[in-house]
Amino acid sequence: MSTPNQNLAARGLGLGPFLTGFVPGLLQFQLGQKQRALVAFASCTALFFLGWIIVGDRLFYWALVETTGGSTWSLPAHFGLLPSFPEILNFPANALGALMAWDGTPTGERITRLPQAFEHLAAWLTGASGMLAAFWSAAGHWELRLRRDGDENTPKPVANPALCAALSWLVPGLGHAKAGQKDKGVLMGIAVLLVFAIGLIASGGHAVDRANASVWWIGQNLFGGGSLFAALVTGPWPMDSEPLDLPMGVVLTTVAGLMNLVVMVDAYTVAERSALPLPAAVAAEVSA
Amino acid sequence: MSLLLRVVIYLPVLFLIALVVVGQHHSTAAATIRGAVQRTVRWAVWSACLVAVMLLLELLFIGF
Repeated sequence: MSTPNQNLAARGLGLGPFLTGFVPGLLQFQLGQKQRALVAFASCTALFFLGWIIVGDRLFYWALVETTGGSTWSLPAHFGLLPSFPEILNFPANALGALMAWDGTPTGERITRLPQAFEHLAAWLTGASGMLAAFWSAAGHWELRLRRDGDENTPKPVANPALCAALSWLVPGLGHAKAGQKDKGVLMGIAVLLVFAIGLIASGGHAVDRANASVWWIGQNLFGGGSLFAALVTGPWPMDSEPLDLPMGVVLTTVAGLMNLVVMVDAYTVAERSALPLPAAVAAEVSA
Repeated sequence: MSLLLRVVIYLPVLFLIALVVVGQHHSTAAATIRGAVQRTVRWAVWSACLVAVMLLLELLFIGF
């Protein structure tokens, strides 16, 4: 039997909490979880600058906009407003990094084009800071949802939904195992891994490369474990021979990332519904 | 070679994508696999229809 509160499942929490989520730890701070807030802010900032000290200005060469040659983005870039994904999800660090990096002079522009040693790993670290900020934000949203829709009879979830999503980001299916659906998690995880592996093999290991295909990388990085493997192992490989099918490899690895986005959302939902199940009528409609 | 490779890979990848899509509506692996097989067949039929329509358009507007 569902309670009226459970019918609020589909109602969002509003624009305020959404925007607050872009500053790691701010949601936790507002919720009175000061220690958690500090850990969230420190972990996201440390991860960002760990990568930034290696890759520096070049990170913003991979932003989604052109900042050079009198572009309309030159002015926002002065204020640290550069849309680089997923780093922008960690808004303060991304803005600070952009402020420190941005240099509109021809020399500054040349530096952004210059490949750096270990840039694959550094780019993954800054990207991971954005993803981590998103997971901290999800944790804050879950806490808000519990306070809004839960009551004293609400059971504890089998696991924190945000943690399940974060685990799935690194290892597809691990979040499901944590949420109690081990066999389904293994199946979904294998599906993501296989598509990613076929893509990497078809491209000779060159499909996941932020330096050369930065827009595709945004999708590929939704499978964090895969993009980390590529950053550590296949990314630095020189292209000595013609790959089997590079375009197909790029598409398949991106599809694997998008598949993992579905896996992450599902892992979150499984854990969420262990505490706040769907109303019986809605559940019957969904499974029909 | 490239086209042949893509054709060979298409169906298995379609099935793997279906596993993830269908998995959202089931809680066990067995139910997910059953649902994914049905979904793959349906998507394969739609894909074949799409290819047929594209070939027809090519014949109509470009010729042999």
